[in-house]
Amino acid sequence: MEGKIIVVTSGKGGVGKTTATSSIGAALALEGKRVAIVDMDIGLRNLDVVMGLENRIVFNIVDVVLGRCKIDQAAIRDRRIDNLFLIPASQSDNKDVLTTAGVERVAKDLRKKFDYVIMDSPAGIERGFDNSTAGANEAVVICTPDVSAVRDADRVIGLLYARSLEPKLIVNRIEPARVERGEMLSHEDVLDILSIDLAGLVPMDEKVLISSNTGTPLVLQNDSTAGQAFRRIAKRLNGEEVPIEVPNRKTSVWSKLSKTFGLR
Amino acid sequence: MLQEFLRRFTGQKRSSDEAKKRLQFSLVYDKLEVNDTTLTDLQTDIVNVISKYFEIDRDALELKVKNDKDVSALVFNTPILHVKRKQA
Repeated sequence: MEGKIIVVTSGKGGVGKTTATSSIGAALALEGKRVAIVDMDIGLRNLDVVMGLENRIVFNIVDVVLGRCKIDQAAIRDRRIDNLFLIPASQSDNKDVLTTAGVERVAKDLRKKFDYVIMDSPAGIERGFDNSTAGANEAVVICTPDVSAVRDADRVIGLLYARSLEPKLIVNRIEPARVERGEMLSHEDVLDILSIDLAGLVPMDEKVLISSNTGTPLVLQNDSTAGQAFRRIAKRLNGEEVPIEVPNRKTSVWSKLSKTFGLR
Repeated sequence: MLQEFLRRFTGQKRSSDEAKKRLQFSLVYDKLEVNDTTLTDLQTDIVNVISKYFEIDRDALELKVKNDKDVSALVFNTPILHVKRKQA
């Protein structure tokens, strides 16, 4: 059976796309799937450092697409998680070296070798976005609960629909306390605005930065709320029925009181 | 949570509610955004149709996309100078 290609995209940069890609990929591998994560941000590669594999790069995705090496030569095997591979971006090339036709051809080969291929799209809606979506069967859009990220997500969702992809949404960096205080859009607000299906909700978690500091997989940390959220997301993407968990904090006496008296 | 009560007493608005409203509004507007040539072409066509029945001031007319709270509308505004007599 052929594998699936999932593109992870956002429009806006800095909303946690790279963290999401590496975490979902790692979590799918933990589910026993053979997974390749592909960094499509040509010229600005980052997945390798986030995953702690930067010292082992020999070839990259541009080499693969241009036929300078085989897929197996470019795919770096993760030593901590079985069946997890990274195909890094090229750091020296320009985005224009890749064509959608070239990516589509490689995508076909990737689907034969892996159960899941996760494409980490660069920010923006230009060439890099086109290339990342070229061979995709599924799409995940990630946004944070702020006006700019939501607006960009809406734009990207439109573009994905135009490519016959039905994206699922991840709302990242939710801060329950601030949602409660009315300082932050709730996930319901975001869903109201974007009206697409949810892949999952991820709380703000200090562990994310710490795990990227050391290049260790977030999903291996049992005390990371974000890491655990990504594990549930991966299960859902893998077809498992996992209920959506809304990030919350310990309910205070005040919030209980105000709920009881119907003040919100 | 004490802040929540204070906020209610002082009648302050939740900034998240405002964010939601502004987003809903701007996303509708984004989708209605049509490029200049489309608007100009549309305007020429409309003027030609109206000119069959009315004499209008071509310089004073305006065409714009108007967004109200709930609906968006295409507003075409023109002073009518004369009603043309029907040709026999």
